[in-house]
Amino acid sequence: MMSHVKIYLTCLRTSFSQAAAYRADFLMSNLITLLSNILFPLATILIYTNGAEFTGWSMWEVLLIQSVFSMSSGVATMVCSSILWVTMDHVRQGSFETVLLKPISPLFFILSAHFDTSGIGLFAGGLTLTIISSVHVGVVAFGNVVQFLILFLAGLIVLCGLDLVMAAISFRWVGNSRIPEIFDSMKEFGKYPLVIFPKGVRIVASFVIPVAMVGFFPASALLGKIGAWTFLSVIPCVLFLIFGVWIYNRMIKLYEGVGG
Amino acid sequence: MNYLKHKWEECRAVAFVTYKEWSAYRTHSLVSVFVGPVYFIVQYFIWTAVYGDSGSLAGMELTQMIRYFGVSALIGYLTMDFADWNLQMLVRTGKFLTFMLRPVHHRFFALSQKIGHRILGFFFEFLPCLLIFHFLFRINIVPARMLWTILSVMLAFLMNFYVNYCIGMTAFYLVQAGGVRAVYQLISQIFSGALIPLSFFPETVQWIMTFLPFQYTNYIPAMVWIGNKSIGQMGFTIPQAVMHQTIAVLIVMVFSEVLYRASVKKFTAVGA
Repeated sequence: MMSHVKIYLTCLRTSFSQAAAYRADFLMSNLITLLSNILFPLATILIYTNGAEFTGWSMWEVLLIQSVFSMSSGVATMVCSSILWVTMDHVRQGSFETVLLKPISPLFFILSAHFDTSGIGLFAGGLTLTIISSVHVGVVAFGNVVQFLILFLAGLIVLCGLDLVMAAISFRWVGNSRIPEIFDSMKEFGKYPLVIFPKGVRIVASFVIPVAMVGFFPASALLGKIGAWTFLSVIPCVLFLIFGVWIYNRMIKLYEGVGG
Repeated sequence: MNYLKHKWEECRAVAFVTYKEWSAYRTHSLVSVFVGPVYFIVQYFIWTAVYGDSGSLAGMELTQMIRYFGVSALIGYLTMDFADWNLQMLVRTGKFLTFMLRPVHHRFFALSQKIGHRILGFFFEFLPCLLIFHFLFRINIVPARMLWTILSVMLAFLMNFYVNYCIGMTAFYLVQAGGVRAVYQLISQIFSGALIPLSFFPETVQWIMTFLPFQYTNYIPAMVWIGNKSIGQMGFTIPQAVMHQTIAVLIVMVFSEVLYRASVKKFTAVGA
């Protein structure tokens, strides 16, 4: 276990050193991500400034959902998004053997060796907007923050699970850079109050592909708008991650090494 | 006349080869058949919830809004372009040199490629999604005024290409133009009306947008498609909106040529 921690920390240092080598690119890409975060909730702001609303939700409450979503996406980008791109690239080039030859789990190696610093801007933008939105919706109780952290972690688990499923698909659907679009479209359901969607969508977004855990549930916890049953949704999140790890490892066995 | 015939043959040959080349990845295009409807469903529920009992928001009724997002998605499939990425890659790697040696202007070559690529998009993205929107979601997706719509979408196609090509030309100065492209894409997504119709923006912003290229790539053709009687902050009729779109495209075409002549002098063919 300790050796894994050491490997991870060493790889982390290397990732930051690499980012430092291309400082201008690092700053530029993070600045753009930060700006896109500021502009991302523009649609919500324009809807409310035009006199419309999501019934029962104030503008700052909806912005809170969207900023928590960004924050969660930022962490997931840093920690586990590389699994998709690195796997996809290796499979396309037929060079996944270089990963398989390492004396550690391929999954752990890719996650450690490819910490993505571009998620920092996304996280920083999401965090800033979360703080601003939280201030506007009122003082948040300590208990709500604890609930938020548990659900936020569950949301990260979902995003990691999604990355693993996408990476697993890339073993079969070689070189298709549009795979993420499929799952990004599903994630849209986590950016808005779940109550606006019909019952079927709510069940899928809560228990089957629990994208509601990425933004909606943690933000609702901060607002004190959740019941005890919400924590039941953590179970499918964990199951989703287990499924992701299982399918990824299973798909490795199908790797043929011919590229595509 | 011979010149035009020759250009047509060039265009047809490049477009055909591009079509064949990308046909190998046609299942990639079919991702849109899933992604497009899912995004549309999200928009449908969002706007149904937002409208509630309201009859009209920012001058648009709910049915118009639903049609707007369906039509925007379809226009996106017809006008999608990555000439900027392609050009900056050629400049960065020095491969642009091979195009300087050919007896064909690279921009014309790139436009022909885009035509071939989008013909493929027409069959594998546009048509399936159009049928899904029309028959599954029961949206009236038929253009209100067919000829004006075709003209407007063609102009949006050209506008998108020429602006992207100009963005790609920044690589002659910066070598790595990824940052500029990202900034442009971000601004374009917002001010083209893809995120939310421009009628939701403050009037000053809408007025400024009249003089920028963004709305001519999505908002104007979408409004022409759904047959809105008063388009944009200036309340254009459909013919007026298309006329403005034509003028905007002509200006960008001229600008693109001026920029090309200035930029190409900076090309070193070294690569980086």
